[in-house]
Amino acid sequence: MLAHSLFFYFFSTIAVFSAVMVTISRNTVYSVFFLILVFVSVSILFIMIGAEFLGIIMLIVYVGAVAVLFLFVVMMLNVKEQITKRTSRKGFINNVSVGLVVGTIIFLELLVVIGGWKYKGNFVPLSEINFNLDLSNAHALGNVIYTDYIHLFQIAGMILLVSMIGAITLTFSRKENVKRQNYFSQIEREKASAISLVEVESGKGVKLDD
Amino acid sequence: MIEIGLGHYLSLASIIFAIGIIGIFLNRKNVIIILMSIELILLAVNINLVSFSIYLQDLVGQVFTMFILTVAAAEAAVGLAIIVIYYKNRGSINVEQISSLKG
Amino acid sequence: MEYAIVFLPLLGSFISGFFGKKLGDKYCQILTSLLVSISGILSLFIFYKVLAQDYSTSKLIFNWINSGNLQVNWSIVIDPLTAVMLVVVSLISSIIHFYSIGYMSHDPHKARFMAYLSLFTFAMLTLVTADNFLQLFFGWEGVGLCSYLLIGFWYKKPSANAAAIKAFIVNRVGDFGFAIGIFLIFFFYGTVNYDEVFQQTPLFIQKQVIFLGIEVNLITLICLLLFLGAMGKSAQIFLHTWLPDAMEGPTPVSALIHAATMVTAGIFLVVKCSPLFEYSQTALNVITIVGMMTAFFAATVALVQNDIKKIVAYSTCSQLGYMFFAAGVGAYHVAIFHLFTHAFFKALLFLGSGCVIHSFNDEQDIRSMGGVWKKIPYTYALMVIGTLALTGFPFLSGYYSKDAIIEFAYLKGSSIGYCASAIGIFTALLTAVYSWRLIFKTFHGKYNNKENNLNSIQESPLTMLIPSFLLAIGAIITGILFKEIFIGHNSQFWNNSILFLYSIQHDHPPIWLLVITPLIVILVIPIAYYLFVKNEKILKNLILKHQKVYDFLVNKWYFDDLYNFIFVEPIKKIGLFFWKKGDINTIDRYGPDGLSKLVKIFSNKAVNFQSGYLYHYAFVMLIGFSILLTYLILY
Repeated sequence: MLAHSLFFYFFSTIAVFSAVMVTISRNTVYSVFFLILVFVSVSILFIMIGAEFLGIIMLIVYVGAVAVLFLFVVMMLNVKEQITKRTSRKGFINNVSVGLVVGTIIFLELLVVIGGWKYKGNFVPLSEINFNLDLSNAHALGNVIYTDYIHLFQIAGMILLVSMIGAITLTFSRKENVKRQNYFSQIEREKASAISLVEVESGKGVKLDD
Repeated sequence: MIEIGLGHYLSLASIIFAIGIIGIFLNRKNVIIILMSIELILLAVNINLVSFSIYLQDLVGQVFTMFILTVAAAEAAVGLAIIVIYYKNRGSINVEQISSLKG
Repeated sequence: MEYAIVFLPLLGSFISGFFGKKLGDKYCQILTSLLVSISGILSLFIFYKVLAQDYSTSKLIFNWINSGNLQVNWSIVIDPLTAVMLVVVSLISSIIHFYSIGYMSHDPHKARFMAYLSLFTFAMLTLVTADNFLQLFFGWEGVGLCSYLLIGFWYKKPSANAAAIKAFIVNRVGDFGFAIGIFLIFFFYGTVNYDEVFQQTPLFIQKQVIFLGIEVNLITLICLLLFLGAMGKSAQIFLHTWLPDAMEGPTPVSALIHAATMVTAGIFLVVKCSPLFEYSQTALNVITIVGMMTAFFAATVALVQNDIKKIVAYSTCSQLGYMFFAAGVGAYHVAIFHLFTHAFFKALLFLGSGCVIHSFNDEQDIRSMGGVWKKIPYTYALMVIGTLALTGFPFLSGYYSKDAIIEFAYLKGSSIGYCASAIGIFTALLTAVYSWRLIFKTFHGKYNNKENNLNSIQESPLTMLIPSFLLAIGAIITGILFKEIFIGHNSQFWNNSILFLYSIQHDHPPIWLLVITPLIVILVIPIAYYLFVKNEKILKNLILKHQKVYDFLVNKWYFDDLYNFIFVEPIKKIGLFFWKKGDINTIDRYGPDGLSKLVKIFSNKAVNFQSGYLYHYAFVMLIGFSILLTYLILY
């Protein structure tokens, strides 16, 4: 148990610290790095808690795809390191302090909600699906997703398709003055319109109509 | 404190949630930070769901988490595409310069 | 018929006022003049009936106020006093209407003028035919209003507007006293009808009331307050300042209002309320003193005036003083007789002055006239007749009425009476002097006008001369004709329209009193001729030697400056203060202006909500979300 709690505190501290650094870091690339750190530490926590499939999937999807996408965009847009100007009001009540106050209030309210729930009594499980069948997490999840939640699975796939099409539609632009291959017209060339046989007299040459 | 219970995970989730929300309006830099803060919020929700799922011995939480993962990825992609286009049109993604809704 | 007398002028005024543009100037003038003339002829008829058949009546028009104790009717009362006033008002008014057709021929607003004139006539007729104080007050205010409208007729002139306001405000001071008098009457008598008030008066003789901390006799108080109103309306001293300035209006206005009718409303009031005044010797004494002072004061100022109309205006003021002190010594009938004759010759003098001004192309200063008596003989003759009547030349109308006043004052026997008659004689001397000064400076001597050529001085048109001629006839014959009827020893004419508590002295006054005034008047003529035409240097030296006295007179005894200093400037300052500080800074600033500024400030602040920045919107959403969460958690 001690190891458990030690691990928990260690990784959760890293997670919280990195989350804070995401928002206040000056360099945007550093922010992305810290985001990756958050994802990694949280996925370690998942593995620790027993949901190892989700942990690994988070690592692959979040870190491997989403964070890398962020990095690509950051590098492409050439976001400069910014020196934050003191545009906020001087004095006690500037936006940072107000924001922190509001954030703290939200956090405390969440705690109140949790506390209210936690000390309620007994819990009623939501559905009948128990795991704990000595299956691995991946196996258990697979048992459920492809049978009971197949519709959600398909819809998730469609969401991905839609987002992909959307991203491509947004950013795809064909340059007008670049020469490209037009495959369709290449394939449907006919012999009759492409080749013509000409009698050439010796010494005279051929006139090509360009 | 030694015994890690459900409450600890939930507190962690709410801390990250709060940090994500603060990050949306406290940044003065660029729009990408906003998107990253949204990812943090979704992450906090994930932690919430997974910890509930483990402690209640119920698999639905993890199923839902998978789908949230999917949607988060899709939304990050589209959001970044929008940012790219915006940058192409305006030349800058500084938050303080995005104020055409003013008035 | 009585209805016709009072309401025909109103009809004329209404038509001319509202449909003047449609009808055209010519028809308006003819219509209003005709209607008022019909009214005049009918009033002559009524007068004859009253004279010959002792006719008196009271016709109810409608019941005006019926509230608790207060019962006020709108009615027309005819009795001897009223009949005389009707004749004066409607005849002079119709003559003036016809005169105005000629005088205002160059004016673009003829219809409006005629409408105002007829409206004034209506108000005056309502005043004299009233049977209660409230209708009288209505007519009183009505003539005040018409006087304001007519003085300021040429409203584009700022001096005319100022004069009109001055007239109205000074009148207002008098009306204030008058209104309090009426309130007192209602409070103690319980009614405002003449008959009931006059019947109950003997019961109140001994009653004392506390007024402003002083204990006074009720009747005296009421009479003094009513007289205050009369002072304002008839331009007695202290409330006279409006009359000379009122000459800013056109000459027909001066003739009608400020010679014959409106200013005589004060006299009418005092005589009508003779049943009240007879019981208060104090009030009568006050009236006598005020009348005397006014007569003397106005005559002295008229000596040094240079504007032809102002001289005649001060002359009116002075003659009104005569009428008042006649009423003050108890000789009410003499006062009315003098009113009757004075209306004719004063209106004649004004109309003649109008002809002179017209001939001289709107020149009004007598120092710029002179030597034209051959060129405009008819005007000259009319003016001379008027002057003779005014000064009291024997056998013209003024002689009978004015000398009767002086006689009755002497016969009264009290010290005030003697004093009054002495001042009356001296003022008659002054009157003669300034009247002949006017004639000689205007028509004799050297021609002094710089702008007009002597040859361009022409006689006025017939429309102006004929009405003046009619008035001249009146000025000559009314004295002889009506002397026995009005002031004769055995005349029963007045019946009970005037109350004489102490029987009138019928003794004959001493011979020297009878002779002295006509003698003075006749002698003044050659002396004045010498002083003003032949040898003007004597007067110039006299003025130089007594420059201060001359200045005192020219500045009208400094009354205007005094009033300006005491009343006008401080009130203007107070008004300015209230306007600037009170109205603008306090009420407007916290009221409409303040509200609109507040709305602006708040909307300016509210604009910041829509900054266009995404994180602002997110922040606001967050705050809303946290509030919602708090609400859900707590409840």
